[in-house]
Amino acid sequence: MSGSFFTLSRFALVFAAWLFGWWAITWVLNVNPTFLPPPTTVFERLATMATVSMGDGTLIVHILGSLKRFATGFALAVIIGIPLGFAMGYFKPINKLVTPIFEAIRPIPPIAWAPFAILWFGLNVGAQAFVILLAAMPPIIINAQLAIRMTDGRLIDAARVFGAGPLRVLAEVALPSSIPLVFTGLRIGVANGWMALIAAELVAGDGSSTGLGYLILQGQRTLNADLSIAAMIVIGVIGALLDVSLNRLNRYFQGWTAQT
Amino acid sequence: MAMEQDTGNDLSFQNLGMVYEARTGSVAALDGFSFDVRANEFITIVGPSGCGKSTLLQVTSGLQAPTSGKALLNGRSITGPSPDKAMVFQSFSLFPWKPVKQNIEFGLRVSGMSRAERDELVDYYIGVTGLTGFENHYPRQLSGGMQQRVAIARALAMRPRVLLMDEPFAALDAMNRTLMQEELVRIWSEHKPTVLFITHSVEEAVYMADKVLVMTKRPGRLKCTIDINAEIGCAHWRTQPIDEVLLVPKFQELRHRVWEEVRAEIEVNA
Amino acid sequence: MSRRMSKTGRDRLETAIYATISVVSVLVFWHVFSVHMLKNEFILPSPMQVIGGLERLTLGYLGGNLLYHTGSSLLIVITGYLIGLGIGIPLGIMMAWHEPVNRIIGPVVAVLRPIPTPAWIPLAILWFGIGMSGKVFVIILSAMVPCIFNSFTAIRETPRELLDAARTMGAGKRTLLFEVAIPSGLPTIVAGMRIALGNAWATIVAAELVAASAGLGFLILAGYRNFEAPVMAAGIISIAIVGLIMNFAFQWFESRITPWRESEER
Repeated sequence: MSGSFFTLSRFALVFAAWLFGWWAITWVLNVNPTFLPPPTTVFERLATMATVSMGDGTLIVHILGSLKRFATGFALAVIIGIPLGFAMGYFKPINKLVTPIFEAIRPIPPIAWAPFAILWFGLNVGAQAFVILLAAMPPIIINAQLAIRMTDGRLIDAARVFGAGPLRVLAEVALPSSIPLVFTGLRIGVANGWMALIAAELVAGDGSSTGLGYLILQGQRTLNADLSIAAMIVIGVIGALLDVSLNRLNRYFQGWTAQT
Repeated sequence: MAMEQDTGNDLSFQNLGMVYEARTGSVAALDGFSFDVRANEFITIVGPSGCGKSTLLQVTSGLQAPTSGKALLNGRSITGPSPDKAMVFQSFSLFPWKPVKQNIEFGLRVSGMSRAERDELVDYYIGVTGLTGFENHYPRQLSGGMQQRVAIARALAMRPRVLLMDEPFAALDAMNRTLMQEELVRIWSEHKPTVLFITHSVEEAVYMADKVLVMTKRPGRLKCTIDINAEIGCAHWRTQPIDEVLLVPKFQELRHRVWEEVRAEIEVNA
Repeated sequence: MSRRMSKTGRDRLETAIYATISVVSVLVFWHVFSVHMLKNEFILPSPMQVIGGLERLTLGYLGGNLLYHTGSSLLIVITGYLIGLGIGIPLGIMMAWHEPVNRIIGPVVAVLRPIPTPAWIPLAILWFGIGMSGKVFVIILSAMVPCIFNSFTAIRETPRELLDAARTMGAGKRTLLFEVAIPSGLPTIVAGMRIALGNAWATIVAAELVAASAGLGFLILAGYRNFEAPVMAAGIISIAIVGLIMNFAFQWFESRITPWRESEER
């Protein structure tokens, strides 16, 4: 316990030293704050962001706006990706039909679809959700498919010995045992989707005044680097929180299957 | 390539102790272990799991320093790993990215031997261990038995004064294991380095050893020593095939004796 | 033996048939939908119109032909990628091998890692302008982070027994690093390089969609602005093809640099 407190405080100390270095550079070299503001300015900005309205509102409005787009795209990725992955894992013909299309689309970075997405689904939420969907879905499909295919053959044999048919094997053996791998896919999907969200907000955010990506872009356009950096910090913190909480959940699921 | 023929003590353990600091408290792995090994002796060590056998090898190899007592090689305190103490690990520990030949050559190259000398030695040990034709295979392309041959060749090529073997055949199937036991004796007798050989197999211990050491349960102490050579009184049976030796009454008697000693330790534990 | 051969042969034929069916039916559906139902070239061009768009690009579009724009993107990606590798891999290795380096650099890496690279694009524009250097900067970041992370993990997870084995044969600290830890971690390091390449490719497209005057991402954006959907689609297809080629090149590189892993699958 005291050990982890020790490492944490050392971590904080070293980080503070880096911040001091950043501050010292801006001060000694007298750097133009529109170019690189000192950390103090960034912290001030972080503090005022919560109360001062920018674009469509205060910080919380932008966070919720981004999260809404993310949630829309990610939910679609789960709704399509998991059943599709399961079907591909369980039925060979479906796998052989879908794989060529899947492999042809995969080398295209999701953000490249943004302009088409705008044409198809409209600027903002529609286009951005589509890009997030494209970014989050591949790992979800791959892992769902893998999870079904890697079902322990001995478990299937055991179920069949007791007279289970193919559907019962799927429902009572393959699906439950696939949960940890599926969850891993969801985790990668969240990371990919979060990264795509920011790109999508930068590319397909024209006309919108909401979202963390908008704040970054706004900082650049109005020559307020402190705003851009503050928004990046918020994005990083939310991304890290998502990652940590999913890691926790993941540990829970791994333990859950170890018992079965 | 002749080994220097020493007489007298080669390895000497004096009141060796090892205590590990763990979260749950300290664990004593070895306690007051004392023993002298003469040059060219083949020593096997048996004892219950967790009795500090592996720790003893780690200390002898110089990978770990004991927390008390001393380990001496040729009268000098062991301070760290060196090429005169070669080790063969249970999991083979071959470098997966190096083909067989380069694996065997590794230690020689590190110690700065010239290429011509290296080639000669490596070729010799590839021949002795029956690896001819597999020089350019990667370890993963070989069976477990073949991999362990590479590990043995790699250790022997160093022409070590002491050969340390930590359950080298535990990962092999029973049939390969028997073959490798006979092979090892044959290879060993070419130059007779001093051997410390850890095993869980009483049969293996009695078959190969000059002396069998039985250790107590944790913290490991020396329980007793069985001098196989003295017991046999004539030529050692390890030059004969195992299945024949198994029929020798004296072998059966010694195996029984060693097993009784080990069993007592395991049952105390339970 | 021959029965097994014929079985895999049949399997391969089956896969090919399914692949043909699926690709052809997608193309037919796409064609019928765009030509006979949607009838809006601007929203969804037909396959033939996309081929026309590709043709237009090869003849030259906004400053140069397809090769010019591909080259422009690739130049930035490769420059940034190599610099990112050159910094990230040694840094990750040093952080894993020397604890003081880890203690000093670690906190910064840990804090920067969760920030998605595209988020740096506006700042890069602010610092370097919309030219090449700003994009190279972002590509460096996108490639560096996975390299640091994977190299660090690779070295830290060197099997202890391999290090022990090398030490018993007299290996010193340098030998342990260069002849044991690094080769042992090479597959993980190479995996990091693969992730880095994907990141770099996605990032350049994003950066060119935000602000650029050349490149494949720029082509898509220009097509969008000029109401030329066939050009947009052609741009996407070009990106896919270059991406595929890069994947194959990387696979080749991977099999060359870690040949011992191929033997695993045999």
